[in-house]
Amino acid sequence: MKVLVADDSGVMRKIIIRALNACGVTDIVEAGDGAEAIAKFGETSVDLVMTDWNMPNKTGLDVVKEIRATGSTVPIFMITTEAEMSRVKEAIAAGVNDYLAKPFENDLLREKIDKFVCV
Amino acid sequence: MKAEYINPFVSAAVEVFSTMLQCELTRGKLTIGNGSQPTMDISGIIGLSGRASGTVVLSLDRAVALSATEILLSQKCESIDGDVIDAVGELTNMVAGRAKAGLEHLAMSLALPTVITGKNHVISFGSVTQTLAIPFTCEWGGVVLEVGLVESPEQAVESAIAASAAMA
Repeated sequence: MKVLVADDSGVMRKIIIRALNACGVTDIVEAGDGAEAIAKFGETSVDLVMTDWNMPNKTGLDVVKEIRATGSTVPIFMITTEAEMSRVKEAIAAGVNDYLAKPFENDLLREKIDKFVCV
Repeated sequence: MKAEYINPFVSAAVEVFSTMLQCELTRGKLTIGNGSQPTMDISGIIGLSGRASGTVVLSLDRAVALSATEILLSQKCESIDGDVIDAVGELTNMVAGRAKAGLEHLAMSLALPTVITGKNHVISFGSVTQTLAIPFTCEWGGVVLEVGLVESPEQAVESAIAASAAMA
């Protein structure tokens, strides 16, 4: 399984990658902003996209919309500080499959990743 | 700045430290802020805009910043490096994000965080923004949360009408 992890925070990418590793996923592509995420998505085939919302050079929501505009049905898991219900609805309407608001328990992150990994 | 607007930020800071760092924050006394955190070593700053706009500053002692990064990354941190700066920015982002969810009627958006380092640094909020500051202590040292929010003219009118209705 290959996963694209997009977050402008290097620390947050490390936290997510550690959780992915704990779930047995080691084939990971990193992106530090939204534009890089779109570019990496176009360059390589991935089985899961994990993205932040607030990023420079295209937001995570832009990333979701652009991926869905290609016709891709790849699962997208958004991990963000945007916790308002209106934001969650907006993300799901754009094509997000699962959503986790920061701060989060590491166990919950791994539990959610496992749902994608075990499919 | 309305005093009630500080509460979601205080709750958010306590929740972020508890959930992400397994660290209990003990709240100190609320003060009118002046934009200076003279004993702090590193500050995360993030702007908010919407029906209210302003700035959130999370300032940490060096030991708090290093310990927080160690917990987040599960690796030893001995100096304020890129990882520590990034971690403080992310913690500030989480505090502001969680707080704005508690102030949903203000429909605020987050800017990207900025981090300032250096002993005795001072952050100016501008003369028009009154800020409120809350000091915290934890097992690693001190933390100060300072928030300055100004309602938009439209929101200020709605707040005044709501206050009048509550008094009637």
